[in-house]
Amino acid sequence: MTNLIEMSHISKAFGGSRALHAVSLDLKAGTVHALMGENGAGKSTLMKILAGVHRPDSGEIFMNGEKLDLKSPRDALDAGISTVFQEHSLLPNLSIAENMFLGREPMTRLGSIDYRAMNRQSAKALGELGLTLEPTQLVSNLTIAERQFVEIAHCIQADASVLILDEPTAALNAADVDVLNRNIRRLRDKGKAIVYISHRMEEIFELCDTVTVLKDGALVGTRMVSEITTDELIAMMVGRELQDLFPVRMGEKGDEILRVENLKITETSRPLSLTLHRGEIVALAGLEGQGQQRFLRSLIGRYHPFAGTISINGKTLKMPLPTSAGVRRLQQLRVGFVPEDRKEEGLFLSLPVAHNIAIGLHSRRSELALARSYRSVIARMMDAMNIKAAGPSAPVGSLSGGNQQKVLLGRYLAADLDLLLVEEPTRGVDIGAKSEIYHLLRDFTRKGGAVLVLSRETIELIGLCDHIYVVHDGTIVADMPAAQATEHKILDAALMGGSMRQH
Amino acid sequence: MAAVLANPIARRLLRIPPSYFVFLVLLATLWLARPNMLNLNIMGIFIRQIVPLGILVLGQLVVMRVKSIDLSGGGVILLINYFISSGSFPGASLPFFVVLALATGLAIGLFNGFMIGNRRVSAVIVTLAVSIILVGLVQYLSSGNPPGDVPKLFNDLYNTKFLSVPTPVLFWILLTAAVWLLLAQTVFGRYVASVGENAEAAHFSGVPVQRTVILAHTLAGLIAAIAALVQTGSIAVGSVRVGLDLPILAVAATILGGVVFGRGDGGVWGPFFGALCFALLFVVMTVLGIDEPGKLIAQGVIILGAAIFYGVRVRTP
Amino acid sequence: MYRSLFTILSARNTRQGLWGLPLLVALLISLWLTVQTTEFATAENLFNLVAQAMPLIIAAIGQLVVVLIGGLDLSVGSVISFTTAVLALGQPAIVLIPSVFLLAALIGLINGLAITRFNVHPIIATLSTQYIVLGITRILRPVSGGTVPEAVIGAVSGSLLGIPYPLFWGIVVILVAWKLLYGSRYGLHLFAIGGGIASGTESAARNFGVSDRRNIILAYVICSCFAAVAGVFLAGRIVSGDPNVGLLFELDTVTAVALGGTQLSGGIGSLHGTVIGALVMALLANGMNLANVSPFVQTAIKGGILLAVVGLQSRKKMGL
Repeated sequence: MTNLIEMSHISKAFGGSRALHAVSLDLKAGTVHALMGENGAGKSTLMKILAGVHRPDSGEIFMNGEKLDLKSPRDALDAGISTVFQEHSLLPNLSIAENMFLGREPMTRLGSIDYRAMNRQSAKALGELGLTLEPTQLVSNLTIAERQFVEIAHCIQADASVLILDEPTAALNAADVDVLNRNIRRLRDKGKAIVYISHRMEEIFELCDTVTVLKDGALVGTRMVSEITTDELIAMMVGRELQDLFPVRMGEKGDEILRVENLKITETSRPLSLTLHRGEIVALAGLEGQGQQRFLRSLIGRYHPFAGTISINGKTLKMPLPTSAGVRRLQQLRVGFVPEDRKEEGLFLSLPVAHNIAIGLHSRRSELALARSYRSVIARMMDAMNIKAAGPSAPVGSLSGGNQQKVLLGRYLAADLDLLLVEEPTRGVDIGAKSEIYHLLRDFTRKGGAVLVLSRETIELIGLCDHIYVVHDGTIVADMPAAQATEHKILDAALMGGSMRQH
Repeated sequence: MAAVLANPIARRLLRIPPSYFVFLVLLATLWLARPNMLNLNIMGIFIRQIVPLGILVLGQLVVMRVKSIDLSGGGVILLINYFISSGSFPGASLPFFVVLALATGLAIGLFNGFMIGNRRVSAVIVTLAVSIILVGLVQYLSSGNPPGDVPKLFNDLYNTKFLSVPTPVLFWILLTAAVWLLLAQTVFGRYVASVGENAEAAHFSGVPVQRTVILAHTLAGLIAAIAALVQTGSIAVGSVRVGLDLPILAVAATILGGVVFGRGDGGVWGPFFGALCFALLFVVMTVLGIDEPGKLIAQGVIILGAAIFYGVRVRTP
Repeated sequence: MYRSLFTILSARNTRQGLWGLPLLVALLISLWLTVQTTEFATAENLFNLVAQAMPLIIAAIGQLVVVLIGGLDLSVGSVISFTTAVLALGQPAIVLIPSVFLLAALIGLINGLAITRFNVHPIIATLSTQYIVLGITRILRPVSGGTVPEAVIGAVSGSLLGIPYPLFWGIVVILVAWKLLYGSRYGLHLFAIGGGIASGTESAARNFGVSDRRNIILAYVICSCFAAVAGVFLAGRIVSGDPNVGLLFELDTVTAVALGGTQLSGGIGSLHGTVIGALVMALLANGMNLANVSPFVQTAIKGGILLAVVGLQSRKKMGL
């Protein structure tokens, strides 16, 4: 059988960090091709290149043997490549039918949009998925699962020959997943090539014909699903020699610093409890979007939990924390929050390194106080963290990703805090800087601090932390000392959800 | 264009507020056209005229640093001018008027700040609406009771000189230095820089974002009140049109001075020279026989030009 | 009945915004004026009301087009004054009418290019052109005067088959706008771009292959052209050029648009809401005139309404 799509030696870098390195992927008509790998392995980037969202730095794409030049999403759509992205891309203020036909609306002879034809064809596409949604309904009124189906119906409607589904089941319940799988099989039997990105093992084995595993932006291998076992597949996804990067664990822990009891982060989620002691680094592991981030941000008032208590240093917080002042309130309790997205939420890119570090100290003083220069603190931090910059007055945006991340962390380390809540400590950072950051966090706990960390990189959590909580569906489903944890164990718990609890 | 912007020298030049260049060009023009006007006495009078603008610029630059804007200054000036000149407070003393003016500015600034910082209403709409309401009110009040003379003390103070420099100009310089102190040397200044650069990051660093925006607007209201007092001193009689074009000129001078939304490359002295540019611009235009409409066009072109200058720069980091 | 009224008032499952409420307000004001005054419900007053409201309705529709994509045009008032000044230049109508629209389109083009190509904030860009155009207007016509071509005057006074011309033209403009917003691809794309901007994903529409840049530029051109129509209309009514006739129109149009339930953040709004919003403004003005409220107080009240309707809309981010 010939290949419908051939992606050959695709490489892509964002800023300084390499997202994909010479990855090749072949898609055959009438098959479902699973794309697997840990979070950040490069799956989404590869698919965004095929969808025309990103352009590869090097490498070529062929369709039916002819070279494709995808300059924009439009080009990909015109070539018959349709995508359902992880982040929802429907327009909320347009109806289902309008979303499905946006950019290629059918017209009447009078030059108006032919809403009748549009609604009729949308209803037909929705009907093929077994949905009874009104095509005239606004997308903003749909549930997440319904939106997901509309996106898939959109692909069907566009009569694409290649369909990319990026974690389509992440937000769906079991019944919806069944409906979806039935439709995917039907589309496969109609001769479409389908790329299926998912973390759920059972789906891969139930649905897919071929599986390709990516890791750190590189290709690990492509196998027939019928010729591989679950264990072999997990083995392909994990296993790396990173042990030398991590600092030695402490062994003993001090007083309790954080206690969370029966916290319900959403109305329907099951209650969640955990404790954290001085000297400890504790991790929240789990698959994307299982509520880890929502939990961490509930602690600073960004989200308001529905029930439960949070105590810091034995002091119970008054809930709910105010959204606009939660960070300041916790700062007074010597707790700092290090956000994940350093460019959007963390750093002041065009302001000097010095300002970026010192703002955490400034923000604890009153407005009219004279601003101290904190020259020695900044110099000490830059030195201790080995921050490579032209000097304290260099704008932080001119630094490399790793040094930027160290500056961000430096802000909170300099601020003399007891507890750090850290999201993705090493996102987009090279190996050397990663190791430095791990040692900095460990030094912080050695001096009596405590760290609660959230990361997509399981191996990082195992190496860095003392204890790991696995989060699934808004609650903790497993906890284990990091010394006994393996990637396999964590992935198992994260994939299987509640089943671990019983063991 | 992109090649020019990539050049390090060109980029360094782009960092310098346009107001310095424009100031030099205008000075040169004046020197060529009317060399005899370039003496301290004549220039002092011209510069004294734009002191209310220069003061208003200080408030504008503070709110523009936090990515906001204040167009209510015209209404504030008009209202305070009315308070002083209408005779509504017969026999009131100078300190009474100063306190009244500052209280008025504070209240209006606080209201603007609350609407923008807390309610997140569009800053342009809020401050323009406030201005319209104030102007409408003053015009209504004064149609029944036309504004009279300003207490003589105001004008007398305005006309004093210190070491042959007009006192208002000195006052302006002192006030500018005070705002410089506030922005460069206090914690509030750090907050302003942070909020302007990235409000989300400021929030996660523990900066009280809302409070900073509200305080910035309150400060702008206070400064507008000070500008109103100086303006009132300068005209000696009440008027229902005084100061209405000042806010937009203040925006122009601030942008010209290298302070655009969220970015403060020009510090306070860039906008200071921005205001001085307008002093010279008005002189040059008068000398060249260009009147009112030409000034309007110049204002528009300057704002657009400076904004494009920054827009292009932001896109080529 | 109760149910459907509630649906309209709460504006669910539509992107039309909350337009039922202002309609109710308009009806209540009309009712109150009918009961309170004898002059209100006369044919003459109603005709005046429509004629007075028409320029605002037309200009507000233009403003609606840019508000739908999350923008704002503060040059509307200047363009209106400018149009009357150009029309009073003493040339024949056949020359003046096309020039007026070409010039308006040019102003819109400058706004659109500054915003999309040079990354200037819409408010700053249109504020600048407001001043530039105002300056040019004052050069053309420092004070009110000149004569507008007969053809223009004739087109807005008198009536056709019993329908007063202002009403006739108003209906024509509304029909054109209806076709543009609801009967063309462009209209749908405006909503799509605005919906993306309002929900924080500015590239959302682009992912569907909708060109945002070109559509945004066109929106500003359309807005200026509608302002020019309003200007032609006003010129015909006042028979001369007036550099101040468009004063505060930029804010009145924003008030009318916001009053009609359109969200200033983009993507949600309606043509009928905007027309109703403008009518409410005209009714209020008419009522206040009948009640002898000082014009200055009327200005202040308009400012208060603007503050109230825009203040009630919540936004995600602070800013201009």
